[in-house]
Amino acid sequence: MKKRNRKLAKKEAVSQRAKVTIRKLPTGVRGLDDILGGGIPEFSFNIIAGTPGCGKTTLAHQIVFANATARKPALYFTVLGEPALKMLRYQQQYSFFDESRLGTAVRFINLSDVVLEKDLNTVLEEIIKEVTATNPGVVVVDSFRTVVRKAMAGAGELEMQSFIQRLAQFLTSWEATSFLVGEYTVDEMRDNPLFTVADGLLWLSQVAERNSVVRKLQIYKLRGVASVPGLHTIRISYDGMQAFSRTLGLIGQRPKPSRRRRLSVGVPELDKMMGGGLLEGDSLLIAGPSGTGKSALATQFIAEGLRKGEPGIMAIFEERPKGYTDRADSFGLNLETPQQKGKLEILYLRPLDLSVDETMQEILDAIKRVGAKRLVIDSLVGFEMALAPGFRTDFRESLYRMIAALTGAGVTILSTVEVEDKFTEMSLSHYTISFLTDDIIRLRYVEIDGQLRKIMVVIKMRGGNHSKDIREYVITDKGVVVIHPRSTDYDGLTTGIPTRTGPRPSQKEETPPEPKAKK
Amino acid sequence: MSRATPKMRDFAERLVVYEAKGNRSSGTKTPVACLVIDKLRPQLATLMGNIGFRALLSRTLALSNTEFPWLRAVHVKAEGSLEGLDELDAQVDPDEIFEGCLVLLAQMLGLLVTFIGEDLTLRLVREVWPKLSLNSLDVGKGER
Repeated sequence: MKKRNRKLAKKEAVSQRAKVTIRKLPTGVRGLDDILGGGIPEFSFNIIAGTPGCGKTTLAHQIVFANATARKPALYFTVLGEPALKMLRYQQQYSFFDESRLGTAVRFINLSDVVLEKDLNTVLEEIIKEVTATNPGVVVVDSFRTVVRKAMAGAGELEMQSFIQRLAQFLTSWEATSFLVGEYTVDEMRDNPLFTVADGLLWLSQVAERNSVVRKLQIYKLRGVASVPGLHTIRISYDGMQAFSRTLGLIGQRPKPSRRRRLSVGVPELDKMMGGGLLEGDSLLIAGPSGTGKSALATQFIAEGLRKGEPGIMAIFEERPKGYTDRADSFGLNLETPQQKGKLEILYLRPLDLSVDETMQEILDAIKRVGAKRLVIDSLVGFEMALAPGFRTDFRESLYRMIAALTGAGVTILSTVEVEDKFTEMSLSHYTISFLTDDIIRLRYVEIDGQLRKIMVVIKMRGGNHSKDIREYVITDKGVVVIHPRSTDYDGLTTGIPTRTGPRPSQKEETPPEPKAKK
Repeated sequence: MSRATPKMRDFAERLVVYEAKGNRSSGTKTPVACLVIDKLRPQLATLMGNIGFRALLSRTLALSNTEFPWLRAVHVKAEGSLEGLDELDAQVDPDEIFEGCLVLLAQMLGLLVTFIGEDLTLRLVREVWPKLSLNSLDVGKGER
């Protein structure tokens, strides 16, 4: 046994000694290094492929500017693609483009003439000449597709393969991490020696659905690292490309502590119904039809947190921030001052081509900025509407991931969802998403004594017991207020048309509304 | 539309003055502004290729033709240099040639600024004349 253990230990020591540490280069693209499993492996030979307009050149530029130094510069070979002047004209609009590094750390070399007038050997010689002279850390050929096209017109397939092999071997031997940029379609991957030789294959695409276009990134392969598989959303803005991993927020989650505080939602009677309040780190869903006070409850939840020194975020998709602060004012709750003090952020998200991942990133950033403990998402219906059509189809799964990621960040979430009241049943939400929330409160209208009144009930609380009462509530100048008595004289409240079980109390005569002014 | 604005002419003049200082003993007949263009050629051709440089210089000539019609006799050679200037000596006043070539340079610099902006243009020029102090294109700001 001892001998076997010694043997194993020796074997392990040898394997550890023999292993090479692959340094990873940052891409300069927010979110992409996580997708790549840490970054681009040093000295790797990579392809950035995709159809026109996907952001291939922008990605290449970001990698170049993230890594180039005067001692280890980046060589950017341009070949018959976008003219260099135009490339510089457009790329300098991005914030990452640092013109002070051009000519020293970042060098652009045009190979168009060589490609047009000479053969593959001369192209390779030219690259070798420049690489040998500058000793670069990063080399980009944009577009490599045009090199191949020209070469294939005059040379055989074997010659092309030989060229790719020699180029890859040379660049790796010269300790350069290289990127060949090209317009390819997925079908072209088969039987193409380039894709076999490459260590990494970053595929960019644009997916159009109805009037919306969404950019995607897929890491087809990346030798030496464990990248995140699947399609990831990317967005190109003033800061260049940003990538949103499919697993954003799911890695490095904090487990919920075993003993959790109960948080007040700002409505004392509702806290009692919830067994003392909402459990910290829970996700609460408030479901109800329009006008039942979902946003009012959300406002009270955030205001109560602020009162107790817990910063908050409100991600709103329907109402404008002004509407929110005005409503809070009418309840005597001040949301302006906490915003000015950086304790509250109201995120108004209404573009029509959002992805769940982008929204999540925006919320996670805001949580970090203000140190938020409470989060409101108002409403899930509005959120779904703000998404690009392609993301609406898997909204449930995305939402599951988002709620898990956000509660994993340590915040307590209150989300609202609008449901249509039916007078035969009481549905919780049309998404069937209730499985992903810890707690559910249902608001609904009931017809009582010729009036449309409001009731609420705690449907579930994963973390403990809760009241089974169906309570009537009103919305006053204090917000949502649960009214007494605790028990009602009605049966069938959940149907919306209850039947009286107790004596009918005498009602005060209500003053009729003023007649409309006559013209 | 002319790109040889007063600012670009001033920029061109600064380059010509600087280049002339270094070329006093060369004895060449080529106008200094054209020598400046020729010095910029490898730098720009590295960036945009010979084809790109020729296209830029052709456009520069076309823009300058309206102001100096005799420039129609000047052409861009395959390698990107100008031909036809020497033949003009007998037909055009030397001062006029000097002025025309200065405008040619100003047009070229103006085109570069239009395409890639002032900062990058200055950076390219600085790579050719690293000792020339060029902080900006604003008259009076940089050293002359």
